[in-house]
Amino acid sequence: MQIANPKQLNKIRKEYLAKQDQYPKKIMVCCGTGCIANGALKLVDAFRDILKKRKIKGFTVEALKETGCHGFCEQGPLVVIEPDGTFYSKVKAKDVEDIVEKSIKKDEIIEKLLFTDPVDKKKITKYNDISFFKYQKRIALKNLGKISAHSIDEYIAYGGYQALAKVLSKMSQDEVIQEITKSGLRGRGGGGFSTGRKWKICKDIKAEAHYVICNGDEGDPGAFMDRSIMEGDPHAVLEGMMIAAYAIGAKQGYIYVREEYPLAVTHLEKAINDCENLGLLGDNILKTGFSFSIKIARGAGAFVCGESSALMKSVAGEVGEPRAKYIRSVVKGLYDQPTVLNNVETLVNVPIIIDKGADWYKKLGTPKSSGTKVFSLVGKVRNTGLIEVPMGITLREIIYDIGGGIIDNRPFKAVQTGGPSGGCLPESQLDLPVDFDTLTEVGAMMGSGGMIVMDDRTCMVDVAKYFLEFLVSESCGKCVPCREGLFQLLKLATKICEGRGEEDDLEKIEKLSDNIILSSLCGLGKSGPNPIMSTLRYFKDEYITHIKDKKCPAGVCRDLITYEILDNCTGCTACKPVCPVNAITGNKKELHVIDQNLCTQCGACFAVCNFDAILVS
Amino acid sequence: MNHNFDKLHEIFDRHPKTQESLIAVLQDIQKEYQYLPSEALTETSKVLDIPLSKVFSVSTFYNSFSLNERGETVIKVCTGTACHIRGAKLIKDQIESLLNLKSGETSKDKKFTLEEVACVGACAMAPVVITNDKYHGSVKVSNVKKLLKAK
Amino acid sequence: MINITINGRIVQAEEGEYLLSVLKREKIDVPALCHHDAVEPYGGCRLCTVEITKKEWNGWSDYVTSCLYPVEKGLIVSTHSTKVNEIRKTILDLYVARHPNSPEIKELAEQYGVFETTFETIADGDNCTLCGICTRICDEMGFHAISLVGRGHGKIVAPPLNEAPPDCTGCLSCALNCPTNFIKFKDEGDYRTIWGKKFELITCSQCGKKTITKEFAQYLSDNRDIPYEYFEICDECHRKQTALEMGKIANWTREEQS
Repeated sequence: MQIANPKQLNKIRKEYLAKQDQYPKKIMVCCGTGCIANGALKLVDAFRDILKKRKIKGFTVEALKETGCHGFCEQGPLVVIEPDGTFYSKVKAKDVEDIVEKSIKKDEIIEKLLFTDPVDKKKITKYNDISFFKYQKRIALKNLGKISAHSIDEYIAYGGYQALAKVLSKMSQDEVIQEITKSGLRGRGGGGFSTGRKWKICKDIKAEAHYVICNGDEGDPGAFMDRSIMEGDPHAVLEGMMIAAYAIGAKQGYIYVREEYPLAVTHLEKAINDCENLGLLGDNILKTGFSFSIKIARGAGAFVCGESSALMKSVAGEVGEPRAKYIRSVVKGLYDQPTVLNNVETLVNVPIIIDKGADWYKKLGTPKSSGTKVFSLVGKVRNTGLIEVPMGITLREIIYDIGGGIIDNRPFKAVQTGGPSGGCLPESQLDLPVDFDTLTEVGAMMGSGGMIVMDDRTCMVDVAKYFLEFLVSESCGKCVPCREGLFQLLKLATKICEGRGEEDDLEKIEKLSDNIILSSLCGLGKSGPNPIMSTLRYFKDEYITHIKDKKCPAGVCRDLITYEILDNCTGCTACKPVCPVNAITGNKKELHVIDQNLCTQCGACFAVCNFDAILVS
Repeated sequence: MNHNFDKLHEIFDRHPKTQESLIAVLQDIQKEYQYLPSEALTETSKVLDIPLSKVFSVSTFYNSFSLNERGETVIKVCTGTACHIRGAKLIKDQIESLLNLKSGETSKDKKFTLEEVACVGACAMAPVVITNDKYHGSVKVSNVKKLLKAK
Repeated sequence: MINITINGRIVQAEEGEYLLSVLKREKIDVPALCHHDAVEPYGGCRLCTVEITKKEWNGWSDYVTSCLYPVEKGLIVSTHSTKVNEIRKTILDLYVARHPNSPEIKELAEQYGVFETTFETIADGDNCTLCGICTRICDEMGFHAISLVGRGHGKIVAPPLNEAPPDCTGCLSCALNCPTNFIKFKDEGDYRTIWGKKFELITCSQCGKKTITKEFAQYLSDNRDIPYEYFEICDECHRKQTALEMGKIANWTREEQS
C-alpha cells in the first residue's frame, strides 16, 4: 500500500495511536548494541514467552517495544515502564516474571532493580529523576528509548514524516534551504559548517546529478552517538536525507555506515525497505513528482574514510584516499558531481527544524552554536553514556552534574574532546562552554562529540602516544607529512614513554607538528598533532618528568614503573594465575612476591588485587 | 586451500556488476569464506571488470579484510580511546598470553584469531571484546579466561 | 586570461589552470617529486607547497600544493617564503630519514640545507618514495598492472597478490620514470624480467639488437593500429630504412630535374 498524500500519513498515525491506546502500560526494552551485549534479547524472549503462555489484561506483545539505545549502556539491560517512567537497570531474564507480576499486572516497584545514584547512593524510581537524564535536552535523541526501532508505523504515529510531507507539499527548495540556514544548524560531525549554506552551494551548481550522502562512519574512538541514532531511530536519518535531497535536487542518496556497526546496517535496511513499500522512497513520492532512492554503502575499516573525499572514493568502490580539497566536494564530489555530505546527527535535526521552525531551534544553545549536541561521555566518569545537552553547557556541568563525577572519587585530570583531531583540557578549563568555537580557541575542539574523562591514573604522554599510534595505523599513506611525520612524532612520544627522552625532543615535537599541520593533504594529518600539542600545552611538566627524571607520575608507562607486593597481602592467590610471565610466587595465605627480573609491568596483578596490596611506583 | 567456489557466483549475482559494488562483494566473500581467497579476488576482477591490481589495492587498504585464513573463533579486542583508558591493553595482553598468540595472528590449530579493532561504538561498556559477533562488555582481567571459553 | 602575482611579479594565467604549470612556464623552480607531466597531479610529496594569500584575506596566508591548486584572479603567491622553506626542509628531512640510501633524495635535500636527518633513520628504508608515478603511468598506459598496496607507513608498490602481474607487458614505463630508480629490471639474452615476470624480447630482423617485449608489441599492435611486423625492426633500423627511402626519392627528384 503506497501513501498518496499527507492525509494518508495522518490516517496511519491515528489508526496506530488508537490501537496503542488499548494498552495502559508499555514496556520499553533497550535493544541497542550495548544492552544486547548484556543480554537484552534474552529479556525480550522472556517477555514473549510469558505472553505466549498467559493472557494478561491490557498487555500484549504490541505493548512490548524493542527500542533504541537510551545511552546509559553500563547500566543495561534497561527496562522502562511507560507512561510512569519507572526505570529498571541491570535487568536479567529471571527478573522478567517479577516485572510482569508486580509492575505490569499491579503497580508495584521492584526495589532491587532500581538505579542507585552513585553520588548520594539513593535509589531512584523514575527515569526523569535520574541526574544522567534530568539535565538532558533530547531532541536528536527524542525517539531513542521511546519507540520501537523497527517500526515505520510507530515512527509515523509519533510524528514521523510530517516534516517531509510539509516540505514536499508546501515549501519550495529555496524555502527549505532558507529555513535550515536561519536555524543556524551547523555540521554535527565536527566540521561545524552551516548546513543550509552547504545545501545552497550544492543546489546552485548545474550538473548531471546531485547526491546526498549521510556520513555514518563515526570513526572517532570513544564516540557512539551516530551508532545509537542509526540503530534506534533509522527513519529520522532517512527523513533528514529526503528533505536534503529535495532541497538540493538529488535523486540518489547513500548512507555510508561503518563496518563495525552491523546492527545499524540491519535497521537502516529494514527502514529503507519499509519506506519503499509505503512509497516514501522511490518514484513520485507522495505524488509530488519528487523521486529519491537510498542505498547503503558499508565501510570496511578505515578511519580516514570519515573524511569527505575519501568517503566518496569508498562509496565508489575504490581505495579511500583523500584528495586535495581546493575544489570542495560540495562542488565536485561523488563521481565528480555536486554532493552534500552530512553527518547523521545533523540530518536528524532537519525534520525537527522543519516541524517546529527555525526560530524555535535558535532559542536553544548559543547565538553562534544553536541547538543541542549529543555527546558520548565515557572514561573514568561514574555515569557513562550518551547525553544530549544544549550548546553552551560547561564541561564541568557535563562531567559532574550529569556524569556524577569521577569514579572512586579520584581526582579529575583531563577531558579529551574531539577524538584524534581534538585535544585534552585540564581542570582549569572546565568552566568553558562547549560549542563549535570556544574549545578550538584553547587547543581542543568539540569535534563529533566524544568526551573522554581521565583521572590521575592516566598518563598524558601515554594518551598522546595512544592517539599517534591510532593515527599512524589509520593514515592512508599518500602524503609525506602525515605518513612520515606522524610516524616520527610517534617515535618521539614512544622514546619519552620508554625513558629515552632527550632535552630537545619537546622542541622537535613542536616544530614537526607545526609543519605537519601546515602541509598535510587532509584533515587526518592536519589535526593529527593536536593531541600531542594540547597535552604539551597543559601538561608540559609531566613530559619533563618523563624526560629528566625518567618517571611516570600516573604509574602507567611500563618502562618507568615497578610493581611491588606490600605487607598487607593476604595470600589470596588471585594475582598468581593472571601474571602472563609467571613472575609471582607464594603459597596460599602467605605473602606473595613479584620477581622484578621477570615482571613486564603489565598491571594484571594490580587489576585483580582486592586488598590494595600492590604498589605502583 | 580448496574451497567450494560455486558460492562465488551467487554472491556476484546479488550486486550490480560495477566498481561501486566492489567493497560490498568483498564483504560478502569474506563473510562466506572467513577471509578473501586469491582465487576469489581473481574471479571478482573478471566478473566486475575491474583490474586485478585495483581489487588487490582495495583488499589490502581496508582493515576488515583478511587475505589469510582465520581461525574458528575470531577474537576482536576493541582498542578505542574509552577502552584504552579502561585497560584494553591489559586485556589484550592477557588474551595474548592465554592463547599464545600475538595480535593479528591465527593459532596453528586454526581455532583462534586475535585482532584489534579501532572502535565498535560500545564505549560506555569499555573495555569491549567481541568473539565472533558476540559482544562482551566491561571485561575484567578476572573474567578473560571465561570469556575465551564461552562461544 | 587573469593576472596573478608570483614572488612580487605580475604574471598572466588561464583561470583554473594548476599553479604549478604557471610556475613552470615562468621558469620558477619548485621541487615536485611526485609530479609527472604525463599523468594527473597527485599531491603526495607536498614539496611543491607554496604560500598563497589575497588582498581580502587581510594578511592571513594558506599553504597549498601548487600542482593541484587552480589559480584565480588576485592570487598572490610566494614560492620561497621562510615558512615555505621550513616546510620543504621538514619534508626533505623526513624523506632522508626514510630513504637514507637514495642519492637522488640526498641531492634534493642538500639543495635545501638538509645534510642529515634530525629524525630517527629507518634502517631498512628502501628507495621507493611512494610518489605513485609508476602506478599512475601504468594506468595511463592502460595496463593497470601494478598498484599501491596496503595503507600508511607500510604502503608499497606491488603487483597484485604479490605474484607476477598478469597485466604487465614489460613496457618499462614504470622503471624509466621512477625518480629514484627504484624499480629494477633485467634484460639478459632473449629475456627481460621485471616485477617477477619474464618476457621474451623481440630481436630486430635487420641488426639483431633486442627491441621491446613481444607482449608490449602485441598490445601496441592491437590497440594502436600498427601492424605487429613493424616492431620486428628496431628504431635505428627503421630510421636507416627511412633515410635510404628518402635518399632514393631525392635521387629520383634530382634525376627528374636534370
